Amino acid sequence: MRERITFVQKEGDSIEPTALKVDGNGLKGPEVKAVREDRLTFALDELPAELKALLEGVNQLHVRWVSPVAYEAVSPLLARLPPGFHLFYTPGSDASINPCPLLTKAFGLDSCSSPSDSFTTLPTDRFTHSTTHQFYQPLPSLKAFAHFARSLLCPPGSPSSCSSRLGSLTAASQLDLSYDTISHTLRLTSLWPYSPQSLSASLLSPTIRTEIGILSQTSPKTLEPHEIGISGLLTVLGQSTTPSPTLFSFPSRHRDSSSSFQAHFLPPTGLHPTLQLSISSPSPPAKSPTEETCRLHGYFTLPKTLFPDRHQLNDPLFLSSKNLTAVRYITPGIDLEAPEYVTSTWGSALLLELAPPHSSSGKEWTAEIPLHLRYLPPSLTGYQKAEVPYPALFWACTAEEGTKFPGNPFEKDRVGYDGLFGERTVFWHLNPSPADGKLVNTVKVPVLNLEKADWVGTVTGAVVVAGFAWVVIKLLGVVVMGGKKVGEDKKKKQ
Amino acid sequence: MTKPSGTGQPEPPATSSSGASSLVTTFFDRPLPLYLSAAIFRLVFLLYGLWQDANSPVKYTDIDYLVFTDAARFVSQGQSPYERETYRYTPVLAWLLLPTAHVTGNRILDVAFFSFGKVLFAISDLVAGWLLEKVLAKSMDAPRARKFATIWLLNPMVATISTRGSSEGLLGVLVMALLWAVLERRVTLAGLLLGFSVHFKIYPFIYAPAIVWWMDNERMSPNKTKPTSLSSKPPFLTAKILNFITPPRLQLALISLTTFSTLNIAMYLIYGTPFLQETYLHHVTRLDHRHNFSPYNTQLYLSSSLPLSSSSSFRIEKLAFLPQLLLSTVFIPLVTAKKSLPTSMLAQTFAFVTFNKVCTSQYFLWYMVLLPLYLPQSSFVKNKKFGLAALVLWVVAQGAWLQQGFELEFLGNSTYLPGLWLASLAFFGVNCWILGVIIGDMR
Repeated sequence: MRERITFVQKEGDSIEPTALKVDGNGLKGPEVKAVREDRLTFALDELPAELKALLEGVNQLHVRWVSPVAYEAVSPLLARLPPGFHLFYTPGSDASINPCPLLTKAFGLDSCSSPSDSFTTLPTDRFTHSTTHQFYQPLPSLKAFAHFARSLLCPPGSPSSCSSRLGSLTAASQLDLSYDTISHTLRLTSLWPYSPQSLSASLLSPTIRTEIGILSQTSPKTLEPHEIGISGLLTVLGQSTTPSPTLFSFPSRHRDSSSSFQAHFLPPTGLHPTLQLSISSPSPPAKSPTEETCRLHGYFTLPKTLFPDRHQLNDPLFLSSKNLTAVRYITPGIDLEAPEYVTSTWGSALLLELAPPHSSSGKEWTAEIPLHLRYLPPSLTGYQKAEVPYPALFWACTAEEGTKFPGNPFEKDRVGYDGLFGERTVFWHLNPSPADGKLVNTVKVPVLNLEKADWVGTVTGAVVVAGFAWVVIKLLGVVVMGGKKVGEDKKKKQ
Repeated sequence: MTKPSGTGQPEPPATSSSGASSLVTTFFDRPLPLYLSAAIFRLVFLLYGLWQDANSPVKYTDIDYLVFTDAARFVSQGQSPYERETYRYTPVLAWLLLPTAHVTGNRILDVAFFSFGKVLFAISDLVAGWLLEKVLAKSMDAPRARKFATIWLLNPMVATISTRGSSEGLLGVLVMALLWAVLERRVTLAGLLLGFSVHFKIYPFIYAPAIVWWMDNERMSPNKTKPTSLSSKPPFLTAKILNFITPPRLQLALISLTTFSTLNIAMYLIYGTPFLQETYLHHVTRLDHRHNFSPYNTQLYLSSSLPLSSSSSFRIEKLAFLPQLLLSTVFIPLVTAKKSLPTSMLAQTFAFVTFNKVCTSQYFLWYMVLLPLYLPQSSFVKNKKFGLAALVLWVVAQGAWLQQGFELEFLGNSTYLPGLWLASLAFFGVNCWILGVIIGDMR
């Protein structure tokens, strides 16, 4: 087991080594504004039996959790996903292994029953670096996971810092769990938003090798256009008491486009709500060395309460009226009719290319995504809520021929959309900036009002029976009158 | 143009005072004006639709048409039409629409090819109208028959539905052809049409009992004099049954069943389980929960959402098929088929649609094609005020439902209860009353 703790300040901010106190148990320093990332790496043998047994049976398992509370990200930790619990999964040779029970226990999920029921399949023919299955559900907090992690990592006798550090997971804005058979290690990465905090780090356990970095982005002149530079201080607890300065650079897939956006539903939402994206600028990121190849995309994970209709999103005229270009990916096999309560798969993923207006002025503009609600179960008020996460918006730019993206120390992959693009794609993210600070929109869904439903069965039955009886009486009338007529005819003849 | 020579004397020239009425008379005098205007009527709708599709994000073309044409494209690529989700029809439809999948590269030609299906449906409308006229002409003169056929031929609702690309028009022509073949005593043709229609859209099976019941000896062999002993002495039950089984009836049953099974077996051999699942089994397993005109709709939504554990409790919708099938396949044909086969078929269709678990406005076309055959002798036409009142009631009940549906679908108001539910019950009530009147008219 080993740990890496990183504080990332904004470009230009730095800290003097003398301001830091380092000893075998931890690091103490002044309060600064920074992002904090903690990364724990486990070998399989270091994991509890239940988790080890599961991971040994899978090929790839990647959990990506994002907080619904808007947060500020700092380069190079810029990768974004829609808020909620994402799972990207490739089963091992034994396809009957079910990760759902353990994940449900660990995260407090409520809609993960088994890969065959709950997961959707991803295209693996496009690019080799994607997993075969996807699962998502809205999950507002890491409370359940913090509890689970404490029971796992802080056995009786651990220092109190163990418990308090894992408790602080509830304030994290991102959490990643990554396992694949090649590395044979499980990585737990948590990220706290850019905020004032004291530079302090304590050991989870005395046996763990802990590396601490206080870094910020830098732009030396020698940098290649697709690279970013990092400078700062590094130290390993227990090995040295003075942090050593460092400077390195690497190509990064996730960059900041310096634009922002908001998403909200256009009223009235009805049963066919339209999600409107308000985007601050129509221009591609000026910093991209290959600006002309950039295309603006939106990646949506839509819970099963609503869905996009890929047939509706097929018509160029309709799409351009919504400032959309085309659907680049949509989960196949979405049922367009079934109510939510009989749908077992989690929902659908949608990758849309947007069509920014051509004007060179950097004016705010909008794009609209038409969606369709499923029928939800009846309620006592006549309404239900459907929560729809913000999409991830980014300019996808193709880097120059021959550009390689070797593993970078802050690389975040398996984020859903990266598997839908080529290896040389750079994602320039737009910053979601909701007015209310929440990365989730709520739609009020009209449903059947159970309060008024007591008599529905009885009255419907009575009305149908009455209608039936009326028609039968009229038929009998025809029979009787017909008989009379025949009689009359006979009389006349006689 | 030459005047019909049969009348012997030339018609008086139209004077200014009777201009309007004579214009109407000339319009119906010969078939050409009516059918030409019906065709132009549809052509205008079709061209307007093409314009709207090309220029507006709101499409004229029905979503179903995109389903058919997508399916046809799959077929043209050697795949199954069921590759297209929500394709719930016989593969024959996708085959018929194969030209729509043809791509030449020329934009105008491609649009023309893509519109082939709409043209086919519109032509079906015209042929159905022509058959209507032929059936009507059995009991009235041709101009009067054309006047009543106009209800179908120049009906904007009918023209819209077929030029938007809904396949219901095909059903119209099949049913009319079936009726015409039966009335013409063309039993083989009738059997083929019946088997094919049922394969195409299931519901025409309700016509089988009416046709069979109607095909008695008196009608099928009118030359033979009826044995007088039958009317004086009631025969034994066995004799009655033996009398019932006549060669034409056997022939119809045999040919229609053979047609139906051959088609189904062939489709099953080509496309396998998806054919069975999508065309037939889907109707058994579907939940029918989305709001529609059916009186059962609210109850179906309610019960579909209840947990399975409570499924042991009594559910009225499980018995919904009972009143529907009793009326449309037993009671109505038994009582009315021998009095008037067209009216019986109208009443059966009306009952089938009214008592169905799902009811959308496209289903109204199923009975609308038969309506002109009944109206000439109906109390709705004899008493115009009464007829107008019935029409207004039908439209108002539907309008009330549509208003509630609009509030639900577009404004997001929870109108399921009581608004939408009561509106559907009211519409059901109005339909039952109209059905009662239609049946009462057969006394």
